[in-house]
Amino acid sequence: MVLAYVEHAAGELDELSLQALTLARGYAGGELLDAVMIGPGAADAAPALGEYGVTTVHVAQIEGSFAPQGYARAVAELTGRLSPAAVVAAGSDRGNEILAHAAVMTGGVLAANCVRATPGDAAEVTRVRWGGSLLEEARVHGAVKLLTVAPHAVAIETAAAGAAAVETFTPELRDEDLVARISERVDTSTGGLSLAEAPVVVSGGRGVGSSEGFGVLEELAGLLGGVVGCSRAVTSAGWRPHTDQVGQTGTKISPELYIPCGISGATQHMAGCKGAKKILAINADPDAAILASADYAVVGDLSEIVPAITAELRKVREA
Amino acid sequence: MSAGVLSALALLAALAVSGGLFARRALLLVRLVQMGKPSGIERADAVPDRLRQEATVVLGQRKLFQKLVPGLMHAFIFWGFLALFPTIVIAMIGIVDREATIPWLGEQGWFALLVDVFAVLVLIGIGIALWIRKVVRPSRFEGSHLGEADLILAWITGIVVTLLLWHAARIALSLNEYGAAWSPVANLLSGLFGDGDVTEALERVLVWAHVLLILGFLAYLPRSKHLHIFTAAINVYFGRTRARGRLEPLRFDEDLPEEEMRFGIGTVEDLTWKQMVDSMSCTECGRCQEVCPAWATGKTLSPKLLIMGVRDHLFAEGPLALAARASGEAYDGPLVAASSDLEEMAWDCVTCGACVRECPVNIEHVDHILDLRRHLVMVESRFPGEAEPMLRDVERQSNPWGKPQSERAAWAEGLGVRVLAPGDAVPEVLYWVGCAASFDERARTTAQSTAKLMQAAGVDFAILGPREACNGDPARRMGNEYVFQAYAEQNVATLNEAGVRKIVASCPHCFNTLANEYPDFGGAYEVVHHTEMLAELVREGRLSPAASEQTITYHDSCYLARHNDVLAPPRELAAAVGKPIEMERSGKRTFCCGAGGAHMWMEENARPINEERVREAAATGAETLAVACPFCTVMLDDGVQSTGGSMRVADVATLLAEAIETDG
Repeated sequence: MVLAYVEHAAGELDELSLQALTLARGYAGGELLDAVMIGPGAADAAPALGEYGVTTVHVAQIEGSFAPQGYARAVAELTGRLSPAAVVAAGSDRGNEILAHAAVMTGGVLAANCVRATPGDAAEVTRVRWGGSLLEEARVHGAVKLLTVAPHAVAIETAAAGAAAVETFTPELRDEDLVARISERVDTSTGGLSLAEAPVVVSGGRGVGSSEGFGVLEELAGLLGGVVGCSRAVTSAGWRPHTDQVGQTGTKISPELYIPCGISGATQHMAGCKGAKKILAINADPDAAILASADYAVVGDLSEIVPAITAELRKVREA
Repeated sequence: MSAGVLSALALLAALAVSGGLFARRALLLVRLVQMGKPSGIERADAVPDRLRQEATVVLGQRKLFQKLVPGLMHAFIFWGFLALFPTIVIAMIGIVDREATIPWLGEQGWFALLVDVFAVLVLIGIGIALWIRKVVRPSRFEGSHLGEADLILAWITGIVVTLLLWHAARIALSLNEYGAAWSPVANLLSGLFGDGDVTEALERVLVWAHVLLILGFLAYLPRSKHLHIFTAAINVYFGRTRARGRLEPLRFDEDLPEEEMRFGIGTVEDLTWKQMVDSMSCTECGRCQEVCPAWATGKTLSPKLLIMGVRDHLFAEGPLALAARASGEAYDGPLVAASSDLEEMAWDCVTCGACVRECPVNIEHVDHILDLRRHLVMVESRFPGEAEPMLRDVERQSNPWGKPQSERAAWAEGLGVRVLAPGDAVPEVLYWVGCAASFDERARTTAQSTAKLMQAAGVDFAILGPREACNGDPARRMGNEYVFQAYAEQNVATLNEAGVRKIVASCPHCFNTLANEYPDFGGAYEVVHHTEMLAELVREGRLSPAASEQTITYHDSCYLARHNDVLAPPRELAAAVGKPIEMERSGKRTFCCGAGGAHMWMEENARPINEERVREAAATGAETLAVACPFCTVMLDDGVQSTGGSMRVADVATLLAEAIETDG
């Protein structure tokens, strides 16, 4: 059998964990797939895991807020009891943390950020290294094998099955297991669309010329359902607040479309927008570094080009 | 009882009171310093170097003379007190028996002349000091205890004036053991006195006044900012003798006794003894403040106020910590960083070291600042949030911008640069490219130029490519010593395994770390900066640049010039390719670009340092602003753009490569 640790937010199943479950089911190859869930709302959400091929969900009773080592202790205890062929979790911050602790507790071997795994005495895994720039083929030896699954590497697949059985248990925790735990949550969202999450970001740099110059950018962003960002030069000049700054020392963004206007593309800026799926750069300087990183580029005066795009968009929308 | 015996008893009583007050305070200071943690670097070695420091910095007043007029002011007073020291004993003897003096010395005409001359020099010194403080009023005194300084100047004036008048009275009474002509000033003043009973009485009053002023001063000194009279010589002796750019490593090994374990400066108990003596040596002269780029651009940090803050905290909390220890309890006091503005100040620092260089008593401000950061980062996890991505990217991706490690050698594509694979033959020189020159668009040009120049000169070199990791400097200067040490160990292992002996580094920060800090982790290499190597190649005739008419002003990187004495090679290169013009602040007195101390990855909360520097460069009228550091390149180029300037910012290696290309 294979044991999967499934994350959830107050009973709402975590997408990355469902991806991990899909890989775990493939790894089990028809053998039993069990899951472990912890935290408020776990018992309510547990039966739904049947849809993803889970037979039994073990719900660990741990009072209070998230405690990485305490959660890991529950996973380790269950691993000792069930002797699964592998323990699988999402390669999220939390999944990696819990399985790392559990690996130490069980004397097992952890392979993080896998995209593929084949069972065996020595499991064969392919995993992501170096920030996604390298795929590593590795063999995992050891009595207890623990794997985390790289985010968005496996598509979620459902299985034709009924509700999963739910068993609750109370793990035996040690005092030190609860030393590190969440003490407070601070909400960062200020309402509205945040720069970090916006699907479209239109940014301006020194080339915009003034804070008033951002008007055309605001208009375009509004039309595309996005928000306005800016470069460090702009916040230094006081044209926009620091909260609008995209870059290494500002916000890191990952929109579907990024439109930097009049931004030269300094390393510190590019470090903040490397998550963008597509970049459309508008710059008057044909040698600007940003053009090399852009998928599409327009060389020209942004005060002419941006309004032209806006006008064209309106025309298309009205038609 | 005779008058002599009575006087002797009264003098003994005064000595006992003054000495007792002095000793009580001195004992506290000694106990505080004894409580201090060990300093991470060796401070008892290199005795000849330390004695030389003592001779030049203390006796010769070398660092005070970095400012001529204030230097003369201080030297007059300091040398005056050394020369006048025996007169204290002579006056005390005179109290007991006005006919007696120090055998031999007190009778010498030349000594009388010496006393006269130095007494006048001290008074001239005080005159200059008053002129500086009351007329010139330099901004460096902002935040200093000005009233206390006035009191001390008045006190010294009193001591010297009573001495001169006492001598004058003695001459009037013909009590002088030497020819009056030897003592021209006192002789002149003796005209004020008659030779009757009034003068007899005045002679007694003056000698008592003189001695009591001195004894009072003795009791007051250790409680005042003038404490430096006792601590400065000690502080100078134990100051750094070499490698000013090197930070004290923290020890994380498990076998370290707990009382020696420290993660920077948390509470007063974490201060090292050297940091305590530093804080006790500050006279609030503000020379550090005057040269600090953070202070100059309106930030909270003043190195002077920082050291004063540490001292205030030490004197407030230190005795409580001592009391707790004495009663066997654990001291549980506030963080040093929580006192006054120390936390904010610690983050304002660019670690340029200008303060350390200016300080006449060799206070090592940067070590305090880094230790404050270390505690805030590693224990409190409290630091400017915008630097977090950098720390994370250094830790995970081994470069501060989170670029894929596999692209580290991408700058060299098509250049035919050898990438050293494990087991390859070791090259004559390993080119340590650094993260900036590997990944930053503007800095890459420097790496490409340097590589082409080395090829043109036939240097046998190779790079490590993806096996080169961040040297750890950004994390270390940010206070994350732990991440730094992990990289130090990793890189030293790579370099040692490859058998590397000589390294040329393109970044002054890499250069400083490799040359001065890696030896602490088992890596001993000959490390040169690319400007040093290129200048040598030009000198040897292996590169022959054609000089153009362009005017060039060279900006010294702090980590090259101030921390590592690399001054001449980049200037030789600038002179070989154009017409150099110096900026006002250059060489070891250079002004930071604003990127040091991990500020490349932090936001500035007042006027930008880079713009300040660019304006200074623009004032030379030079067409080109030459640099030798990738971070200076980015900061100053940004500064030129934001100030609307037209200067070209380029690394000297790039300028040299262009001069070679036009040649051939």
